[in-house]
Amino acid sequence: MKIRRVIIASFVLIISILWAQQIELPKNPLQGQIVFEEKQCIECHAIGGYGGTEGPDLSQELYFGSVLELASIIWNHTPQMNRKFRQLRMDRPQFTQEEMLDLFGFLYYLRYLGEPGSVAKGKKLLEAKGCKVCHAVAGKGGTVGPDFEQLQQYDSPLYLVQAMWNHGETMQEELKKSGMTFPTLTGQDISDIAAYIRQATTGNVVIRMAPGDPTEGKTIFRDKQCENCHLVEGKVKKVGPNLSRIELKKGVTEVASLMWNHGPKMLESMKKESIEWPHFKTNEMADLIAYLYFLGFEDKPGDEADGERTFTAKGCTDCHKKGGGGRGPDLASIKRFDSPIRMIQLMWNHASEMEDLLITQNKELPQLSTKEMRDLYAYLRKMTQK
Amino acid sequence: MEIKRRDFLKLFSAASGAVILGGCGFDDTFALPDELLEKLKKGPGIETWKNTVCRLCPGGCGIRVRLIDDVPVYVKGNPIHPVNQGGMCPLGLNALHLLYNPDRVRSPLKRTGKPGEGKWQQISWDEALKTISDALVKLRNEGKAHQVSFLGHNEHGLMHEFIARFMKAYGSPNYYQFSSFQNDGIAYSLVQGHSQIPSYDFLNATLILSFGANFLEEGYSPIYYTKLYSHHQDRGTRYIQIEPRISLTAANADRWIPLRPGTYGALALGIAYVLIREELYDAEFVRTHTHGFEDWTDRSGEKHLGFKSIVLGNYYPERVSEITGVSSETILEIAREVGVAQRVVVLGDQGTIDNTNGTFTLMAVHSLNALLGNFEKEGGIFFIDVPPFGKLHTILDDVAARTGNQQKPIARPPDDTFPLTHFSIESFTKNILADQPYPLSVLFLYKGNPLFQTLNQHDFAKALTKIPLVVSFDSVINETSEYAHLLLPDHTFLEAWEEISNVPSVGFSHLSIQQPVVAPFYDTKHTGDVLLELAKRIGGTVAASFPFEGYQEAIKLRMKGVYESGEGAVVSEGMKKLWLEYLQQRGWHAGRYESFEGFWDQLLERGGWWNPVRKQRNWNAIFQTPSGKFEFYSSKLKTAIESLIKKDGGKSVSQSMELILNELNISARGDSVYLPHYEPVPYEPDMPLYLTTFQVLPNRDGEGSNLPMMQEMFGYSRRQWWRSWVEIHPETAAMYGISDESWVWVESSVGNLKVQVKIVPGIMSHVIAIPFGMGHTSYGRYAKGHGVNPYSIMRNLYDVLSGKPALEATKVRISPVS
Repeated sequence: MKIRRVIIASFVLIISILWAQQIELPKNPLQGQIVFEEKQCIECHAIGGYGGTEGPDLSQELYFGSVLELASIIWNHTPQMNRKFRQLRMDRPQFTQEEMLDLFGFLYYLRYLGEPGSVAKGKKLLEAKGCKVCHAVAGKGGTVGPDFEQLQQYDSPLYLVQAMWNHGETMQEELKKSGMTFPTLTGQDISDIAAYIRQATTGNVVIRMAPGDPTEGKTIFRDKQCENCHLVEGKVKKVGPNLSRIELKKGVTEVASLMWNHGPKMLESMKKESIEWPHFKTNEMADLIAYLYFLGFEDKPGDEADGERTFTAKGCTDCHKKGGGGRGPDLASIKRFDSPIRMIQLMWNHASEMEDLLITQNKELPQLSTKEMRDLYAYLRKMTQK
Repeated sequence: MEIKRRDFLKLFSAASGAVILGGCGFDDTFALPDELLEKLKKGPGIETWKNTVCRLCPGGCGIRVRLIDDVPVYVKGNPIHPVNQGGMCPLGLNALHLLYNPDRVRSPLKRTGKPGEGKWQQISWDEALKTISDALVKLRNEGKAHQVSFLGHNEHGLMHEFIARFMKAYGSPNYYQFSSFQNDGIAYSLVQGHSQIPSYDFLNATLILSFGANFLEEGYSPIYYTKLYSHHQDRGTRYIQIEPRISLTAANADRWIPLRPGTYGALALGIAYVLIREELYDAEFVRTHTHGFEDWTDRSGEKHLGFKSIVLGNYYPERVSEITGVSSETILEIAREVGVAQRVVVLGDQGTIDNTNGTFTLMAVHSLNALLGNFEKEGGIFFIDVPPFGKLHTILDDVAARTGNQQKPIARPPDDTFPLTHFSIESFTKNILADQPYPLSVLFLYKGNPLFQTLNQHDFAKALTKIPLVVSFDSVINETSEYAHLLLPDHTFLEAWEEISNVPSVGFSHLSIQQPVVAPFYDTKHTGDVLLELAKRIGGTVAASFPFEGYQEAIKLRMKGVYESGEGAVVSEGMKKLWLEYLQQRGWHAGRYESFEGFWDQLLERGGWWNPVRKQRNWNAIFQTPSGKFEFYSSKLKTAIESLIKKDGGKSVSQSMELILNELNISARGDSVYLPHYEPVPYEPDMPLYLTTFQVLPNRDGEGSNLPMMQEMFGYSRRQWWRSWVEIHPETAAMYGISDESWVWVESSVGNLKVQVKIVPGIMSHVIAIPFGMGHTSYGRYAKGHGVNPYSIMRNLYDVLSGKPALEATKVRISPVS
């Protein structure tokens, strides 16, 4: 029984490691905006209000899914999109695998970048969270911490969180001494507070951070010894929660707030384990959170058997016959699918052709749910490996 | 040595053949140091590219230089530079000809003969600097620091600040530029309270109405505007160009409207008449953000006429038609088109401001922007932010500096003509000749060629000969530097460090780093480094004001401020305004650099920084006038004129006013004086034809003349090479019995020129045009002895408010050469 468990665990681990290697973490997810413009996506789709209005604004929550979630939305949307292309006399853009990865990485990344804060809400929050017990604004308030008027313009709310985090240990002690409860943060809180402080300060230096680099973040995760307590892959029990199981597809300040809220518990555990409170400098917190954010970029493995059933049920076999002879190639004979991006790229690039054929045959383009996409990829990956 | 076109073509074909055959004989056309020639002979080697900035015009285009084994061989546009987006003009594409020009000055020179004789003696840098510093120290010790002047060209950014720093620390108020962007901004300062030249949102405008602004060829940054213009079809933008001659901009416009030179202001006010009469103006904007539109009563109870009354009473289409030569129907048509178009940009430049009435004309043109409520609006006009430069060290002073700086500037005329500008080449010249208010002992000339570019060439040359020590900083000898006693050769821009920022009218805050793509070929020095060396030799607070290792260090100090501000982004592919705005709103900056060195490396690698996201400005910042509004009725002009009256004690106010207005050549009276109005140009009635001039892209203000390929392209639109021509309308030609390609005398009251005729329909009848840029008597073998300089026969007239030379105020007669 024990041996069986070990074998299963090893199998799961190997599978997840193999799977985890399929999509490389993007170094600069913003690179995809060039693709977004060059391929004229921006002519129809806006990001945060910038761009065309023919199609939906892609900064809506709906589009912040994993690779195959987004692929499913785009695929199911193909007939409408094709009609629009024809109406606007535009060519349907073709993508290389690299371009497709850049584009998906960029769209996925938008949520991470967060939303601008509200000054009015920030002012209220500063009172409500008790910040002014220790900090003053223009001389009005506490004197334990620095007067917010003296701070530089923290245009980046994350920089504020990073500064708070770095003196989190001292702050927690001060709070304990004064009998105050630890102020927790949710949603847009920190963006709102930063917006208020920014307009309240007399500092003339604007501090902004560079959007996080997930590959750097991975290194920081290791260097700051986060992996001593947290797991991101596999199932080995650790002190802290498995981060791959927590929903971290949130704006950067929301994730930072989760970390902040978690601070007291973390400090306690770290003291027990004799681990030092981690300090972040320059862009480190942005990078770390980008890494955690991108844990949700790649999908969980699909089911090969279900994928095969989907392949048949959706009529793919009508064209892609085993051994050839269909209108499309035998997928077993094509280059190995080493990444879901390759499948998406191929599907996108021949979607027009496929739709035309289905129209002539009085058939509808098959709709694919996220699960079906995942299963399909698992099946095709297995098939192309042969 | 002079080169004729035929000689050049022979040399060029020989040189091209020589390159193919191994590089021998190459230096007949281009001078390459032996070391580089040897490298080239070895055949293709390692290729590298370096980004820098083109400096052949003020446009600030980013360029990429291709190097083979570190030898510059090719130049193209930097595709990620936001100003030119990879575009280039012919001048920029020929930048290497400047580097390899055989007439470059290769070491410091001392003049041993008379000006123009070409007798120079090679001297060491030490000797040159000792001569200058000895003179400067002596003057300073004698309390005559103010007797030193610096006449620059169009430098801006750090070099401007560096020269200003040197002069302030040394103790002289006499740093000027010819020609200066500051003179261009006078009209704007009268109505908007500051002289910042606006930027125009061509991309989002539906109609561009240009009064004589040949922005595709003569604008501050022609390639920037060419890129904007390239979107006119996909954006459906309509261009209307108003000017007497069909320029490159007019040729590309949807409509060309010819008018008589010097009458742009009347036409602008004629359009204003229709807009007001038919209520096609932005009444809400005018009510909220302008001053002096309606009739009004001042605090003392005096009643004043407003812009509306003056315009409705005087500028009805039939009268405007008589002045301008534009039909009443056309005036109505344009005005209605402007009135109903949703987003209209109105701009004026060259033709508008280069006349005796330039300031009032530009005020009239700009008042259309106010009528249309165009300020800080999409598809309108706006002002960009200064990049957040790091501050250099404080300028220190001592008694000598303070005393010198308090002296009256030498360019201020004793009779206070030019009341609004701190510099006019005319008063500068007159004062030097008259030793007023004191004699000038040392003149530094930094690049440019004022003697070639001024109207009063005879007097300016005379003034130069009067100054005991004239020092020129340039790479080649030109008409002006022929008069220098010492010539200190500067690097060419491809060998030097520089920082270029905020080219006027470009629509975003930006800076570019000019970095050396090759080590200096000859014994030359950057003028910034020469000033540092001079400061050290002078010592004391002057030296202490320059605590830099070199000019490059000062650039880096300024860049540190940009880095620390977190604003904008190093230019990069695809990072457009909307993304930067999206990121900045969320507290991110684009690009990744964790230290200043990383930021600096990226700047050099990519060529520049920009910030297209403008800071929000309140209306008091947009209009820095006493009323905080756009002033149709200019308080600043009123104050300036009243201050002249006060000085003229003894006479009654009205007598004094009359005298002052006559001195200022202002014919208007009453409230009209302070409002945009049409001021007639004092043309000579016995001369039948208007003389206009224009610049061509391959030459600009005469600087391209020492580049042989640019001489070859000089008249590309008229198939004229290496020579000048005069453009004449077929009707005018018929009137004088002149045929195409024949030679004529063009005669003004000042002098005459012999020039070949091009009969073209693209010019108004009774107007003739001669391109500017030819007619050099110096400036190297490719420039000297080709064509004519039209400025040499122009009357010495100026816009007395801005101090700008009136380049379209001369009338002439023509006669065939017998």
